[in-house]
Amino acid sequence: MTDRIIFVCALLLAGVYFWGTAQIPSLELGDPLGPKAFPRMLGVGLLIAAAMLLAEILNNRKKAVTDGDDSGGFKWEPHDWVVLGVVAWTALYIVLFEPLGYMLATLIYLLVLTGYFNRGRHLMNSLSCVLFVAISYFAFTKLLGVNLARGIIPF
Amino acid sequence: METLTHILHGFVVATQPINLWYTFLGVFMGTIIGVLPGIGPSAGIALLIPITYGMNPTSALIMMAGIYYGAKYGGSTTAILIRTPGEAASVMTSIDGYEMAKKGRAGAALAVSAIGSFIAGTIGVIGLTLFAVPLTSMALKFGPAEYFTLMLFAMTAVSTLTGKSPAKGIIATILGLMIATIGIDLQSGQARYTMGIPEFQDGVGFVVVVVGLFAMAEVLRGLEGIYRGTSAEAMKIKGKLWLTREEWRRSIGPIWRGGIIGFVIGVLPGAGGTIAAIMSYTTEKRLSKHPEEFGHGAIEGVAGPESANNSDTAGALVPLLTLGIPGGGATAVMLGAFIMYGVQPGPMLFQTRPDLVWGLINSMYIGNVMLVVLNLPLIGLFVRLLYIPQGILYPMIVAISAIGAYAINGSVVDLWLILLFGVIGYIFDKVDIPVAPLVLSLVLGGMMEQSFRQAMTISGGELKIFYGSAITVTLLVMSLISVMLPFIIPRLRAMGSKGDES
Repeated sequence: MTDRIIFVCALLLAGVYFWGTAQIPSLELGDPLGPKAFPRMLGVGLLIAAAMLLAEILNNRKKAVTDGDDSGGFKWEPHDWVVLGVVAWTALYIVLFEPLGYMLATLIYLLVLTGYFNRGRHLMNSLSCVLFVAISYFAFTKLLGVNLARGIIPF
Repeated sequence: METLTHILHGFVVATQPINLWYTFLGVFMGTIIGVLPGIGPSAGIALLIPITYGMNPTSALIMMAGIYYGAKYGGSTTAILIRTPGEAASVMTSIDGYEMAKKGRAGAALAVSAIGSFIAGTIGVIGLTLFAVPLTSMALKFGPAEYFTLMLFAMTAVSTLTGKSPAKGIIATILGLMIATIGIDLQSGQARYTMGIPEFQDGVGFVVVVVGLFAMAEVLRGLEGIYRGTSAEAMKIKGKLWLTREEWRRSIGPIWRGGIIGFVIGVLPGAGGTIAAIMSYTTEKRLSKHPEEFGHGAIEGVAGPESANNSDTAGALVPLLTLGIPGGGATAVMLGAFIMYGVQPGPMLFQTRPDLVWGLINSMYIGNVMLVVLNLPLIGLFVRLLYIPQGILYPMIVAISAIGAYAINGSVVDLWLILLFGVIGYIFDKVDIPVAPLVLSLVLGGMMEQSFRQAMTISGGELKIFYGSAITVTLLVMSLISVMLPFIIPRLRAMGSKGDES
């Protein structure tokens, strides 16, 4: 099942990529190929790879029928919700990264995640998060000269 | 004679106090990165690039190489104590290493890993020193067509040898090449696939792709593991951190053989440390008088693979330094680091910057000594890292990744890319699409297109330039073989087993 989805995605991606290639304006000055030729080769390459995958799918199906194996389907499970939650929480962290600043946004982000994944150890979690944020901010901005978003904190 | 002078001068460079300090820092951080889950050597090196922009390139590259081979030492600790390889190449160590730890011989397993890694790592660096010069003389004959076919070979080998399905490996490779085409085309000045996003005009930075695919994806997998209760607990070190006379006798052969196997496999593109470790393990099992002990705590099963995966790192640097072409994911990131510092590896580098090349190579002799010293008496300190609750560690890895990505351009677009590639890496892992081919082709993509277009300009648009010399023909045939091999081998095996039955 997943292989068939990959096959369809590869075909779709090849289609989108060919469309994107057609949008590139052509100015072939002293370059016999221009900016479109290599991308076109990649699009064709992706179609060939998709065809190879289709051959593998058909081959595996034949093998599964002879071996009596019918596994390989995808099932949504509770841990998938957790991963989706982490992704959504990280997306919110990125949205707030500049408005709130590195220190505040990271502190909130870490407190929530450590609170969920290291349950019951509130003091240890809070202390580690505060220390991590403070040390990383000052080490990177003051010692290494890395520019991090200040946000609403004035230093 | 001139080469010998360069090599000796390389020792002067490597022993300068500042470079000794960066060698130490590199191997120390490498050991930590190897021990900790989450940030592997590829993501570790990638994260350091934006932070070390202002540094002298020689010192920065010495430090990054230290992370690369130091991580292999650290990876074995995790493999032995929690049966989870800290980095992929330690997978074979986790079989017998963990069994030894269960029998109270964790100290001996860790000691043989460190000593084997030191001896084999040094064998690898000697090999690198010996093979670098002859290969560079050959590489000087390479033109754009030769470089294009060489890159094609590296990519086909990596895409079909890593992972379970050759088709998926090739899809990953082409995806990397497609990402590499995003941005302003250097020859025509046209914007390609930028979707109107100004940050994409310079292309998608490989740092964010690597950090996303390796670090962020590992965080998602790790947090999922905590939720499902599948994360492993570390075992306590029991027994003396040294070998008995009998263990020495049994280990020394596997260490030497592993060192040679690892170096040879490391030079070849696509194979990498994991295959070197598997080959060493099967060799030792075949040579052993007690093959039944393998899988139940045989010290040869730790000594051989651990040595092989360490000398592999030096072997992998041979094509990177002499040809400028990496043969795997981690060396592709190293190439990215070289380019970021304005240094183009390849045969000319040995002539234009012998101090940098030989300083870097010779720093690896020193780094290996530092690693064995660090990993024997201080192993207890590194092991303590395994007791950090993973529920705290993984979220902090996201924050470190955010710092590294934001440091590049001061733009949140890079943070979004980390998340995007983290999700892609997580999904790819679930559906068995390897990520190393994607990273390799992303780093090589720009160079590959340039070589292709230069070759076509030289030939006036004729494709025969790609089959006009012995080198290009050989490389094209090797590329074809590497694509066909995964399809041919199972058929040959099937024919063989049918023959046996009849």
